[in-house]
Amino acid sequence: MNLSWPALDDTVHDSQRLFRQVLGAMSEPGTVHELVVPTPPAQPQKPLLGAALWGALLSLCDLDTTIWIGAELDSPALREALTFHTGARITDDPASADFALLTHASFDPRTPFAVGSDTYPDRGTTLLVAVERLENDSNGNTKGERDGQSGWRLSGPGIAESRVLDIGDGAGCRALMTRLAGNRASFPQGLDAIFGCGARLAAIPRSTRIASAEARVDSREVN
Amino acid sequence: MNGYNFAYLDEQTKRMIRRALLKAVAIPGYQVPFGGREMPMPYGWGTGGVQLTASILGADDILKVIDQGADDTTNAVSIRHFFQRVAGVETTTATTAADVIQTRHRIPETPLRSGQILVFQVPIPEPLRFIEPSEQETRLMHALEEYGVMHVKLYEDIARYGHIATTYAYPVKVDGRYVMDPSPIPKFDNPKLDGNPALMLFGAGREKRLYAIPPYTRVESLDFEDHPFEIQRWEHSCALCGSDHSYLDEVITDDKGGRMFVCSDTDYCQTRRGEVA
Repeated sequence: MNLSWPALDDTVHDSQRLFRQVLGAMSEPGTVHELVVPTPPAQPQKPLLGAALWGALLSLCDLDTTIWIGAELDSPALREALTFHTGARITDDPASADFALLTHASFDPRTPFAVGSDTYPDRGTTLLVAVERLENDSNGNTKGERDGQSGWRLSGPGIAESRVLDIGDGAGCRALMTRLAGNRASFPQGLDAIFGCGARLAAIPRSTRIASAEARVDSREVN
Repeated sequence: MNGYNFAYLDEQTKRMIRRALLKAVAIPGYQVPFGGREMPMPYGWGTGGVQLTASILGADDILKVIDQGADDTTNAVSIRHFFQRVAGVETTTATTAADVIQTRHRIPETPLRSGQILVFQVPIPEPLRFIEPSEQETRLMHALEEYGVMHVKLYEDIARYGHIATTYAYPVKVDGRYVMDPSPIPKFDNPKLDGNPALMLFGAGREKRLYAIPPYTRVESLDFEDHPFEIQRWEHSCALCGSDHSYLDEVITDDKGGRMFVCSDTDYCQTRRGEVA
């Protein structure tokens, strides 16, 4: 069973390379990184986890970490694969999870993930979210106006001026981005999110200011 | 090197530091505790920086190590040799050619570019430590954003000397939230922290703390409206390259009072001399 869930070819150098890409994504929010990782198998009647998130899990998780898995992704095969490859503990309590594995469709803002405390804000859950679309505006589309697709304008640390990231426009995506935008109000407490779409990966840490791309364009016109 | 994992640290330690680094980047300026390991060099020789470098370094990376700006001083040479032996990475003295730069107490004069990572060695990561010895208290002060005492400390300088006399490890505020110790870099380098395209990571080995400034982050040096932040200036130019805008070291050349001022950044100075010649 586990043979179908691939490991890294070279644990030492592959996990270093993947970590540097995750670090790049986290330090420059909204940048999209293409990870070279073996693709995990599709599970019947389950959304795809994607190679990027699988790579992030393999490079970041070990005996010291706990993972919470959203119901729509959860399966005995995934649990077994994670335990086998990383040794991480699987938890049912989102508040004690270091990493949470979920999809945009099922994101529920009421799930009580750990957000850290004011004295130890680092003790928060990192969300690993499988999304169906992951685009930013670096390839010439500057205003998030691509075919009426919804984008989110990011600014703050790691971003020179602003950057538009599009993770899709379902209700779950909006709920998720609204929750992440709420990080500013509770800073330094908050949730950090890593998005995976196939082999592509991007991140939004809690320090990022998030506005709907359209709203920002409007306000610029007013000014 | 036989008998050691790539870059000395074991994989589980690297993962622990990597997870902490991600949190540090997500909360700019906040000091993340990490399980610092004993390294084959004494505390004070850059064990924090070395652990961070070991955790991020890849086989393809080109490493530069500087100590007070110089590539050829003891600390820089020994750390560079350490990584040559345990990671087999290529090293350089050229700031522009390096992917990862580990530094003790300077930021290179040559502007850094996007994609580079600067790793600082930090002796005492807590900027409030000399004001408040209790870790519990300083942690609470950071949580409550209670930084008035830091301004009082700077004000005491003004009351006593007429100007802010803090010249190195000059406290900064990161992204308008955390007051952070930029490590003992001269305040001359503080403006380079602001909006720098490179990722800056800070590691304190003895205190087991790491923190980060992501690229393009707002970093302000604390000051007062009527006593704005100022950097050091010299009446001299570098005696070797003629630079009038770099950080200068004063070098005693004989026992008759002879002295000269030279760039502390050796790579910058040599590059300039090469261009002039």
